[in-house]
Amino acid sequence: MTITADAKLRPRADADYRAPSQQKSRGIALALVGLAITMIAFFGNLAAVGQSGADQASTLAWTFGVTTTGFALIKTAIAVVLWGVILKLWLRADSIKASLPALVGKPGADPTNLGDHDTPHGKVTVTAKAPDQLPIHKMAKKMFRPMVAMGLMLVLVGLIVSFVEAGSVPNTAASAWKQGLQFLGEGMLLGGIAFLLGTILWAIRTAGGEVQESLGVKVYTPKMPGTAKAFVVLMMLGLMASIVQFIGYVSVAGNSDVRIAFAWLGPLREFGLGLILAGVALALVAIGNVLAFQFYRIQELIRSGERS
Amino acid sequence: MSDNATASSDFAIEVSDKGLGYNKPQQMGRKLWAPMWVMAIMAFPVAFILGIVRSSAIASGEAESTIVALGHTTTGVMFIGFTAVFAAISFAIARILGEFRKGGGEIQELVGSDVRTLKMPPTVKIFILGMAMATMTLLIASIIHLVVAGQVSSGALSLVDAETAAINLEAVRRLGVAVYLVAITFGLATITRVLRFQAIRIRELTP
Repeated sequence: MTITADAKLRPRADADYRAPSQQKSRGIALALVGLAITMIAFFGNLAAVGQSGADQASTLAWTFGVTTTGFALIKTAIAVVLWGVILKLWLRADSIKASLPALVGKPGADPTNLGDHDTPHGKVTVTAKAPDQLPIHKMAKKMFRPMVAMGLMLVLVGLIVSFVEAGSVPNTAASAWKQGLQFLGEGMLLGGIAFLLGTILWAIRTAGGEVQESLGVKVYTPKMPGTAKAFVVLMMLGLMASIVQFIGYVSVAGNSDVRIAFAWLGPLREFGLGLILAGVALALVAIGNVLAFQFYRIQELIRSGERS
Repeated sequence: MSDNATASSDFAIEVSDKGLGYNKPQQMGRKLWAPMWVMAIMAFPVAFILGIVRSSAIASGEAESTIVALGHTTTGVMFIGFTAVFAAISFAIARILGEFRKGGGEIQELVGSDVRTLKMPPTVKIFILGMAMATMTLLIASIIHLVVAGQVSSGALSLVDAETAAINLEAVRRLGVAVYLVAITFGLATITRVLRFQAIRIRELTP
């Protein structure tokens, strides 16, 4: 296997396809840590009901920060598991590449012309060689690490601000900064997850092309489906909403009365995360569709080969 | 133990003559991801608009009961959206697992081999259980928010009680979101296991 600039996104040539995924174990452990942290804040929140005045405001301030940090850790765990998925996808592709020549024998003649065609699993482009990666895939591969790292950092800074707020209630400036920072961080973490899903789509597309090319057959590549296009739009809109809410919170941080602004900034920050999550759902649907096409293509190759 | 597996038979598997196709949760995932997604994409903007309406109500000096009721309604609708979008994500993951199960079975059947299919691993069971628990938690919390909004509007609930309800429900909602995210982590972790199984199994099919 070629070692490229994508080295950390492709396993080493001597990687063992039979070995369990380390990222899976680490991701699950991190997710459970995140859940435990959220549980601490959960009990803190319940305790706040029995408090009043400054004590209650203080408890609600730090539980907000701690809960959001718990969420951020679980989202980071999801990112770690998705990284493991990418590595395992390549090892599976290597296994298919190694096995397919024996399963197909001499590939059957394919009269299909090069260009776009319909299949039972949607439109595909038929080429002689594996296609180049799409610009969105290049972007996804570059962006997921900084997005996850920056997202986690913003949430942690927001956590510190939440402790400052808890020790100085009422502190509307700290409250505004805490909410703005932590939800921008959450948005960036979800953006990082979305870029990782884009990277998975890149891995499936590239590996599929390499497998077909190595077999000496025409390369069938699914065209970018509507779900994938909508995924990109939703992710971008969600990230923009996350940035706007941050600017909104920062701009009212010095005001004495923030009630009016907080009333719409709260729903806006959740609206932004909701849009990114809706995009994530579509990306997963697109992954399912591309996998269905790949199984169909492998079966076509085996059926048309001389061994059948 | 499948962690030391070097062959497909080292995993917990079902052996059959034909591909098993999608299992029940995967069939459900294929059918339900789209309606859940549509519900989410409708709820988010509605909740955001309600937030703007509430902000205007505060600015124009509306009655406190109206403002509190709007706050509960906004949160209730927003979290119906989050419940729906997390469900859509979970169903989409089930759909991916279904493609692996169906496609893997069909290829083994096509080459004339016995069909080996992974039994439902513990990670999937945790995924399904977590998803069910979190869905119920978020949905019940969202419904209570809407009920509280109605009670505050009608004067059946005091503003103090509505505030107490908001704090309690916030705690419950946050826990529901955390459980959902952890369930999704387990669902995605299952994909790595399936990929590993398939990487091993396809090499066993060669003559």
